[in-house]
Amino acid sequence: MPQLDIRDLHAHYGREPVLQGVSLSAERGEVVGLIGPSGSGKSTLLRALVGLTQPSAGEVLVDDRRIDYRDRASQRWLRERLAIVFQQYNLFQNMTVLRNVTIAPLEIQKRSKAEVEALATTLLDKVGMGHKRDAYPDELSGGQQQRVAIARALALRPEILLLDEVTSALDPERVNEVLDTIRALTREGITMLIVSHEMAFVREVSTRVVMMDHGRVVETGPPAQIFDTPREDRTRQFVSRILRH
Amino acid sequence: MNYDFDYADVLQQLPYLLGGALVSLQIAFVAFFAGALLGLGGALGRVHGPRPLQRAIGAYVTFFTNTPALVQVFFLYYALPDAGVLLSPLTCVLIGFVLNSAAYLTEILRAGVVSVRRAELEAAATLNMSRLQIVRHVILPHVTRMIYAPLSNFFIILVLGSSMAALFGVEELTGRAINVSTTNLRTIETFSVVAVIYILITFVASLSLALLGRWAFRVHARIF
Repeated sequence: MPQLDIRDLHAHYGREPVLQGVSLSAERGEVVGLIGPSGSGKSTLLRALVGLTQPSAGEVLVDDRRIDYRDRASQRWLRERLAIVFQQYNLFQNMTVLRNVTIAPLEIQKRSKAEVEALATTLLDKVGMGHKRDAYPDELSGGQQQRVAIARALALRPEILLLDEVTSALDPERVNEVLDTIRALTREGITMLIVSHEMAFVREVSTRVVMMDHGRVVETGPPAQIFDTPREDRTRQFVSRILRH
Repeated sequence: MNYDFDYADVLQQLPYLLGGALVSLQIAFVAFFAGALLGLGGALGRVHGPRPLQRAIGAYVTFFTNTPALVQVFFLYYALPDAGVLLSPLTCVLIGFVLNSAAYLTEILRAGVVSVRRAELEAAATLNMSRLQIVRHVILPHVTRMIYAPLSNFFIILVLGSSMAALFGVEELTGRAINVSTTNLRTIETFSVVAVIYILITFVASLSLALLGRWAFRVHARIF
């Protein structure tokens, strides 16, 4: 039984279809890399999974339980298991680094202050931001903010982590510090869906790669297949264009 | 000008006038905080509420920001007793001021509510925050910080605007000044002293608001 099972998912922006029947599953501990051109629906897929974009058809199962995105309780249940890190970091600007990380576990999950603060300290150290716990987001670089955002997502103790182009808004010099952080996480057995344009990175950390185009899955396979011996023309074309640089 | 200034009579009434200043401040505080509470609801409804609610709030704001506050209070002052509601002049003035400031504060706060980044709202939603928690933890702190300066200015405007209450027989600073000047007939002296009291109040208020902003909301406004 896969931990995350997406079946024939559709979504629209207005009348524009952005997901046209995506099926995809992830076993516990798997790292799934999502690649494809801009507008292929990768980010929308992640947004639909957390319920920020309402799917128009299809279903999502987490631990064999069907998610009803119109039902608040079902959404709550889902969001207790699933965390997302966005391209634009999305930290709360009015809170310190520490508060950003602790607010949801404390105020929403109602966990104990001692436990949460200890965990936050550990996580911030892990992403290399322990020395900035009292800083505000606007005092940090993009890469630093993104690492805090990752710590914030992990503090929820999610079973599945979604990463939506987390390095594409960063200075090239800052990309590696964030990739290093994610690389370390992939060894911890947390299930991940990673949307990224860093092909070398996707190839290195993914157990499976999914190629998307026009709101559909074009091809799925181990990294070696997708990047070296793709079966579909569209994948070959995309990969060769990207890797030529 | 052959006028002999004589401040003795006015200064003798200083404690009485200062008592009036306290009433002025009370009026401003009530108008500000009650208005801000209503205004916050108005701003949230105007931005995130359903269409009919947005329209209703828009109409309210348009009406109250396009008619003079004085006219609004006059209307209440004479209309309410006709409707069988008998209130003291102070209560009547307070109701009028709150309704008026709520309209202005809806507009001021709306600018802040609109400026909350969608990204933060989405992050809050995915962290499982309820609507109330989003308002409390994300929207409100952001709004306060963004529009702290116009909010402070508006408070000063309310302090000065409270002088209108004198017309309805409320004994705040201006009202007491009128009382004093009609008995000692030292109008110039009385009102110059009152002007200085107003300046002192607004100066102290600006200074404390700026310090509060710096301490609580990281607003780095220039104080001088």
